[in-house]
Amino acid sequence: MNPRTTLVVAIAAVSALALAGCSTSDGPDKTSASGKTAESGRTAAANAKPELSVTGGYMPAPVTKDMGGGFLTVTNKGGADKLTSVTTDISDEATLHETVDQKMKKADSFDIPANGTLELGRGGNHVMFVGLKKLPKEGDKVAVELHFEKSAPIEVELDVESATHNPKSH
Amino acid sequence: MRKKTALAVTALFAAASLTLSACGSAEDADKPVADVSSQTGDKAATVLDQPFEKPDLVLKDTQGKEFDLREQTKDKPVLMYFGYTHCPDVCPLTMSNLADAKRRLAQKLPKDELAKLQVVFVTTDPERDTPAELGKWLKAQDPSFIGLTGDFPTIQASARTVGISIDAPKKEKDGSVTSMHGKQVIAFSPKSNAGYVLYNGEEATADDYAKDLPKIIKGENP
Repeated sequence: MNPRTTLVVAIAAVSALALAGCSTSDGPDKTSASGKTAESGRTAAANAKPELSVTGGYMPAPVTKDMGGGFLTVTNKGGADKLTSVTTDISDEATLHETVDQKMKKADSFDIPANGTLELGRGGNHVMFVGLKKLPKEGDKVAVELHFEKSAPIEVELDVESATHNPKSH
Repeated sequence: MRKKTALAVTALFAAASLTLSACGSAEDADKPVADVSSQTGDKAATVLDQPFEKPDLVLKDTQGKEFDLREQTKDKPVLMYFGYTHCPDVCPLTMSNLADAKRRLAQKLPKDELAKLQVVFVTTDPERDTPAELGKWLKAQDPSFIGLTGDFPTIQASARTVGISIDAPKKEKDGSVTSMHGKQVIAFSPKSNAGYVLYNGEEATADDYAKDLPKIIKGENP
């Protein structure tokens, strides 16, 4: 384990304690998406078929056509799966990105734990759209197709929200 | 190696102190710097007991002209953020929040009062963020925003003086670039010219800024 990993783990542990101790409003969400739930689910449903549904998809109105971000939640009622890619008519380059310590990096795939959720949200994992063919405006919808390791592709529409939209914030 | 460990320890303490203050009841007594007295309740601002000096920074603006931060923003309220335009999430969120707050205040504050406010975006990815690129991106959010670009080590060093650590953009094997944005928006007082209030760029909302800016413009504590 390199020092950076240790640091991240330690901080995660501290924050987890904090959440548990304070029972803040976002406590329950965090718990349901936590590794623990996923881990126990995975052993129980190791070979089960994933059962995916996608909710809460949105794209904050991009500033320019250069770049946009997409966020959504994948809920899984079955065995583990992976989000492997996203395709859309609006951009030829839609990639999965993770954010770690204010740094964005391309990700090959995102794990969708068995009986768990994959949450793409502000400040964290997201879909990045490069070179938009038109500039989406608030109120528009952007169709995307999600591709998975096991499950069949799922088509969803991202609601284009204001540039300041952030369901997480107070 | 030693530096990394020290950093890790500091980060842990910071996390721990956040934890404590988030659980404890807010008190108005004098607080140490790292104590985030306002993370609870509806306040997004963290007022620093030991403000940061404004960075002595000379970079290029979106016209390609030299911009001396200290000289050109002297005795004016300044909001400063470090980010990059090839950023789909937190950077445009932060700048759009500031733009939105400014638009709302345009109906409440006298024009000349609001015009004093200088919003400065310093790129952390100067190679891709040329003056023209920066200008295009900022103009789409608020034409009054100031964009600065230049030599990365200069930018990094000035960010460090206000407690913001940024790494140089890194080219990955697949040709993509990993860049990094700063965590906080720093407000500088028009009275002391010091950076005295911090906002978490990812968490603070346009509402938060709209509520606090009338005070920040006067150099008062939000």
